[in-house]
Amino acid sequence: MSVMRLGYVHARVTDIDDALSHYCHTLGMQKVAEEPGKVFLKAWDEYDHHSVVLEEGGVGLVKLGYKVERPEDIETYEKRAQAFGAITERMSKGENLAISDGLRIVLPSDHVVELYHEAEQTGTATGTLNPDAWPRDLVGVGVPRIDHALICCEDMETSERFFKEVLDFRPAERLVTDQSDDGELIGSWLFCTNTPHDIALIKGPNGKLHHFAFQLGDWSEILKAGDLFAMDDVSVDIGPTRHGITRGQTIYFFDPSGNRNEVFAGGYQTFPDFPTITWTNEQLAKGIFYISRELNDRFTAVVT
Amino acid sequence: MPTVAVEGYDVEVEIQPGEPILGALCRRGYTYKFGCRRGGCGVCKVLLVSGQVAYPKAVAETVLPESDRHDGVCLSCRAVPVTDVVIRLDAEDQLRRIGIFLLDSGIKSAPGLPAKGTKVE
Repeated sequence: MSVMRLGYVHARVTDIDDALSHYCHTLGMQKVAEEPGKVFLKAWDEYDHHSVVLEEGGVGLVKLGYKVERPEDIETYEKRAQAFGAITERMSKGENLAISDGLRIVLPSDHVVELYHEAEQTGTATGTLNPDAWPRDLVGVGVPRIDHALICCEDMETSERFFKEVLDFRPAERLVTDQSDDGELIGSWLFCTNTPHDIALIKGPNGKLHHFAFQLGDWSEILKAGDLFAMDDVSVDIGPTRHGITRGQTIYFFDPSGNRNEVFAGGYQTFPDFPTITWTNEQLAKGIFYISRELNDRFTAVVT
Repeated sequence: MPTVAVEGYDVEVEIQPGEPILGALCRRGYTYKFGCRRGGCGVCKVLLVSGQVAYPKAVAETVLPESDRHDGVCLSCRAVPVTDVVIRLDAEDQLRRIGIFLLDSGIKSAPGLPAKGTKVE
């Protein structure tokens, strides 16, 4: 039994055409379906039907979908979430286009997470028979897949405990005010796959989205993404640079509605026996932006 | 062409067609507190002291609620002046000059800023 990965990010945008230009023309995702006021996008190296849903009206996060391994996992997670005290409800197949039945959970931080065991599998752009390394007709950055999301939580301890105890995520890195027993948790980067993070939590207003990220292959792809952001007048937050936490290489940028995105490359591998790394508050700036070792106002002020 | 002036500073910048307040001031080498530049976070809100603005791009109600508009607050990264406007920055913020090479043309008045601390109330 396990949560396999982040399957979809469902976000709000103020203008769907502007958003499509950003996510498809600049980032290179493909629109695979639409409903009134809603579009479904996928990246080229993803097997399932979609990984991003954009809904017109407002900004910020609607929900995150995490795919579990087996149908019976739903019931187990339901019992655990209820025992934890979280609000849950069952969702039916078809409530989300191409997504199975599953469980909707309201996190201690008010974010909505959906667990599901099956999605319509439409395949990658290169297929599964003698596949080429990448598709010839990539557009823009050509992001291969979604990677993780960072969400804001007022009660960090409870939010982290939920992911650990209910969903079996493990913290790869934790940011604390100090190492004493009274030290307060400021950030937690948790994994269920073998990447440094599949969800990250940071102290901030409940229900808010800090960013969601797309994976890229390496540093040169990060730079190329930056070039494309210049060509397409994408609002860049910071980067290219490196994170101390996760060791990843990064650009933070904003979609046309102001939701923060990231392109993320590198980072180490994690395993169930991975020892948790600790960062203390006085090294926070180095942890977030390793090279400049300076935080900007935007990192904490801008959430949607 | 409408202009934007910042209350308490000797600054007036012409607005290019369709250009929001933040974009115009940054183009001329000024800066103040802003966030995503795309209408999502509300960090760049300022008070519209006089004049009128339009929002050609949709703005989320959660970012700029009706009550804000009623109180004369505008989202400066999205607000496009339709008349000459005067804005007032957040009390804790101040206008800074970061692009001194950008200041020498196209501005009606002298591009000077008062020294820090001389901001007019």
